[in-house]
Amino acid sequence: MSGNATTSLPPVRHERTFPRFTAAQRWEHAILLLSGLVLLLTGLPQKYREFSISQDLLSTPERVELIRQIHHIAAIVLALEALYHFGRILYLMSKRRLPGDLLPTWQDVRDAGHMLQYLLFLRNDKPKFGRYNFEQKVTYWFVFFGVLIMGVSGFIIWFPVFFTKFLPGGVVPAAKLAHSTEAIVIAIFILIWHVYHVHIERTNLSMFTGRLSEEEMRTFHEKEYERLTGGSLKVKSGAKK
Amino acid sequence: MKRLRIYLIVMSVAVLLIGGGTIVSEAAAGSRSESEAVMGQAPSPQAENDTCLACHSQPGFSVQLKSGEPLPLTIDPQAYAESTHGSNDVTCVTCHSDIEGFPHPERTAESLREFKLDYYTVCKNCHEEQFNLTLDSVHEKSLAAGNLEAAVCTDCHNPHTQQRLTDPQSGELLDYARLHIPQTCAQCHSAIYDQYKESVHGKALTEDGNLDVPTCTDCHGVHNISSPLTASFRNSIPFLCAECHTNNALMRKYGLSTQVLNTYVADFHGTTVVLFDKTFPDQPTNKPVCTDCHGVHDIARADDPNKGLAVRENLLARCQVCHPGATANFPEAWMSHYIPSPEKYPLVYYVNLFYKFFIPAVLGPMLLLVVMDFSRAMINRYKEKKAVKPLAAPADAPAETETKAEETPAPEAVEETPPLEANEPVEEPAAAAAPAEAQEEPSVEEQPGEAEQAPAESEAADESKSADEEETSHD
Repeated sequence: MSGNATTSLPPVRHERTFPRFTAAQRWEHAILLLSGLVLLLTGLPQKYREFSISQDLLSTPERVELIRQIHHIAAIVLALEALYHFGRILYLMSKRRLPGDLLPTWQDVRDAGHMLQYLLFLRNDKPKFGRYNFEQKVTYWFVFFGVLIMGVSGFIIWFPVFFTKFLPGGVVPAAKLAHSTEAIVIAIFILIWHVYHVHIERTNLSMFTGRLSEEEMRTFHEKEYERLTGGSLKVKSGAKK
Repeated sequence: MKRLRIYLIVMSVAVLLIGGGTIVSEAAAGSRSESEAVMGQAPSPQAENDTCLACHSQPGFSVQLKSGEPLPLTIDPQAYAESTHGSNDVTCVTCHSDIEGFPHPERTAESLREFKLDYYTVCKNCHEEQFNLTLDSVHEKSLAAGNLEAAVCTDCHNPHTQQRLTDPQSGELLDYARLHIPQTCAQCHSAIYDQYKESVHGKALTEDGNLDVPTCTDCHGVHNISSPLTASFRNSIPFLCAECHTNNALMRKYGLSTQVLNTYVADFHGTTVVLFDKTFPDQPTNKPVCTDCHGVHDIARADDPNKGLAVRENLLARCQVCHPGATANFPEAWMSHYIPSPEKYPLVYYVNLFYKFFIPAVLGPMLLLVVMDFSRAMINRYKEKKAVKPLAAPADAPAETETKAEETPAPEAVEETPPLEANEPVEEPAAAAAPAEAQEEPSVEEQPGEAEQAPAESEAADESKSADEEETSHD
């Protein structure tokens, strides 16, 4: 049988995979996902108290206290994760080893313009992306600043007495408004932008598996693929056949 | 047999009707003649009262009770005649119904209070509605618990001098009654009255005779006064105050904001209180209600130098009751019922403004991009399917091409293909040579077996094409 296969069937296609996220990065994402979900689920009833489900959840002072405690614990987890993330950025910067892949560049603007032309049927080819495409960069920075705003405003409304020792009192209602609005902004953002790109446009589970297949690399991160494989498209075409 | 039974039934009903009717009419006639007799023989109410007043109008007439207290027995005939009872022909014996002549029946009450408590239930005979309301009151509960000083009807309403309190038509409180209420309550609650008459409400009522301001009963109720110390009363306070303070016409008169309730509800404290009031109003909350900051009976104007909350130190003192570490900036954390504007709480105003623009300006285009991306992907997939279909069934291919030819002019298709093929890498003549654009025309040359691979490969080919372009441009 195997002898037959080697002669009559085409050779078995060997799919290479490329490492995309380290285990630490994947853990960071998992913590962000879980703590964010808990924060959202315990935060929404506090924001939308006119809904009967919120009122059922928050109908006694004990329950209000419980929901707030869960919210605070998740907040601490997320804050620690954010601190780790910042710390790692600073550490890598000090070692001059911070990869610049996620930094926005003019190429991203050009890619976005290119993509827009593609979506308007003005072009028929999609832009070629590097390690992270502009959509993924938008996701990172949106969540980056979102978590920053949520964290700062959250701690201000958690410890108003402390913060008004050196900040004007007006920051407290402003933080409350920002916290409650930014939460909705992030939630909508994740729902329409992130969920679309990793689940609907294509199923991209590299944030959990840590790897992308050669096919995915070639299709969605062609420039990065070329960089990693020596840049020759002839090699690619040969490999494919 | 049957007919006999019906006859009997009809007859008995008739007998009953006639008999009953006669009895009723006889009774009615009897009572009429009786009342006629009373009208004819008995003295007029005034005359009847005069009998009593013969003794009871003597000044200083009293008896000593066992407790040593004198029981005053003098009635001022003038005052009684002017009272609502006197002017409505209520006679002495309407209430003192156990007295039929002299000597009066002996009393068992040992003290003045005991005497009053023995007697006040007669009010129920005429004022049953009000009397029943008092049964739910905090006074009645206190009395039942053994506090003999708890107010009963006659402590607030002196039956011998009581003026009319409500308008007979509308049932609304008369102006005179309204102004008089605080003094009535002050008979027992004098310390509260002293606070009230110095408050912004009390001063207006007691000094200026202003009828817009709340008097005791507006907040506490009248006969069924509930305890103001319960959690449910406390949770309902914001709505109690809001009855007047969200009344546009009334507040405009004094230049006051009607936004006090919704600004309170929108903030930390109010949200929780209102939630509890809605779900389980009996739960105590540690969140402040109106009275915790503004005071209860001593409510002052916001700009009052000693108590007014517009004075930051006064507000800070209130904050510190619950937030012990609060410093001078802290009270600003509460927006003092203001709606944020560029002048008041500009930071909040501009944060709100920012999101008003940010959300549609950023999330809107994102949604649009996602929708466009999705539709383009769908259109691509549809085109691919259309291209693949004839391949799956090669026998139909000629027919398909014929129908296609009707839709898209054949010469155009012929024109389009050659330059595209020219761009392609030479290694892939058949499958990969069909890029996305070329798939609008069914490529009959392709083998059915390769059809499944076609979409993915064509995509790759598409990319390789553009990659080639870039390579050449670099050169």
